[in-house]
Amino acid sequence: MSGIKTIALNTFRESIRGKVLYVVLVFGGILILSTYFLSPLSVGSAREKIITDVGLAFISFIGVMTVVVVGSTLVHKEIDKKAVYMVLIRPITRLEYILGKFFGIMTAVLLIALVMGVLTALSVLLGGGNISGQLVAAVYFSILEMAVMCSIVLFFSTFTTPVLTFFFAACVFAAGSLSGDLRVFAEKMGSSGGKLIMDLFYYILPNLSIFNYRHEAVHQLPVPINDLLISSVYSLVYCGALLLLAYLVFRRREFT
Amino acid sequence: MDILSVEEIRKSFKSDFTRQRSEVLHGVSFRASDGEVLGFLGPNGAGKTTTIKIILGLIRPDSGKVRVMGRDISDRGIKKVIGYMPEKAYFYNHLSLREFLEFCGRMSGMKGDLLRDRISELIELVGLSGSEDRKLKGFSKGMTQRAGLIQAIIHDPDLLILDEPFSGLDPMGRKLIRDVLMRLRDEGKTIFFSSHILPDMEMICDRTCIIKKGRVVRQLSMGELTRVGEGKVDIRARSCPQEEIENIADYIEGVRKNHDESIISVSKQEYTRSVLTRLLDCGADILSVATRHPTLEDVFLDEIESGSKGESEKQEEIEAVTG
Repeated sequence: MSGIKTIALNTFRESIRGKVLYVVLVFGGILILSTYFLSPLSVGSAREKIITDVGLAFISFIGVMTVVVVGSTLVHKEIDKKAVYMVLIRPITRLEYILGKFFGIMTAVLLIALVMGVLTALSVLLGGGNISGQLVAAVYFSILEMAVMCSIVLFFSTFTTPVLTFFFAACVFAAGSLSGDLRVFAEKMGSSGGKLIMDLFYYILPNLSIFNYRHEAVHQLPVPINDLLISSVYSLVYCGALLLLAYLVFRRREFT
Repeated sequence: MDILSVEEIRKSFKSDFTRQRSEVLHGVSFRASDGEVLGFLGPNGAGKTTTIKIILGLIRPDSGKVRVMGRDISDRGIKKVIGYMPEKAYFYNHLSLREFLEFCGRMSGMKGDLLRDRISELIELVGLSGSEDRKLKGFSKGMTQRAGLIQAIIHDPDLLILDEPFSGLDPMGRKLIRDVLMRLRDEGKTIFFSSHILPDMEMICDRTCIIKKGRVVRQLSMGELTRVGEGKVDIRARSCPQEEIENIADYIEGVRKNHDESIISVSKQEYTRSVLTRLLDCGADILSVATRHPTLEDVFLDEIESGSKGESEKQEEIEAVTG
């Protein structure tokens, strides 16, 4: 456990000492706060809804982008520049290395999500609204989505380049966000072969739509506790499976 | 007791383009016993770094075994007794020296006051006091090498593996690393290192293992090294006529010119009297006669060039020097 903690702390330090995180944070902050200034066309609850909707969309998008950019470059840089030798020559397993990287990146991303969540809440308060439980739940779901994306990025970065990792992760994110539509599309397909392929995609790709609770937060609709549990377990299982796969690939890897 | 045992290691790599395999290690075997300093010598591309990476478990061999203290290298616990210093490494430039060493120490299972005290002790030992809180990004090559040495010995390992530890260092940096290695040798640590700086290797090593094209071609102790050249004599002379040197070509190994002097290497001790007589008869001034002890560099070059130099080339060499 101490090996995972040490690697996670180093990864977190590397993330927060890089320029990328600050650029992302400043950019995200400006975007979120701008919703307050750019929504004078609407009044009352409509204004609050716009701020909540746009703020949550930015948290999700910027959080995932950070995971993809930081995750794809950090691991590759360590392997490419041979810094990874400093870890693997010590009594640390490759699984501990992968888990350390995951928790390190997630700690940095959590920090971003929290800062942007606070900024969103601030914008809502300034717009005359209240901070609801749904808003907090929606931010929590976004963090679960970022965890799933982080495990996907780590999996790809164990065997491919940062550019390809970015590309694959972006494809998975796009397809995963439309995962529910794939099922509907499969139902409407005539051929059984096409349906099988769509079903296959549906089960392999992460269903990121289950982490989208913006609608509930905007319209103050109840979020069932079951949804919270199912999404949490889904994220945990998906991350576990992807990190295990990443480990299996990384275990076979040679450092020539 | 053998601390490090490498047995019949073979390794081949696939070409990226043709996917054909080419073997780079052809059954490499050697051992390092407790407290021994073993030098690993070979030209570029001989397989030194590949062998070191196999010992460390960064690369898997196609066949063969690596054992450290009798345990397989895949055994996680055995890594606690190994320290490694790479030739060129990126040591996490975002960290300060102290943070980097804390990171390395913690991963080797150290913590608390023990780690803090050890860091302070080693920073002072390698002369990096005052740079503890500087980012590694701003370190010079020499400082980076010293930081690399500290991280390798921070957990007080029994076996220290170093890949080209003197590479790119100025004479002072080389001396500092050499002094630390000699101190570790005196403490009874087993050290295995590759280097191209042969005088340093000769000074530190108990034994040397020479590798050529993926094969160990020779292993010799420093005691054996002094015996390698026994019976060979160098004659330093002035005013040697060229035709007389050509006449004694069968008795000598070579001639080196140094300004107006010639250093004639006699191939066997029993030829010394004949060569001296011939030189004196032709009017040469004999300046000195001395038994020749080869350096590690001589032995290394002999091994690497063996078989590639024929008798005709030797004659050409003599002519080139004297002519």
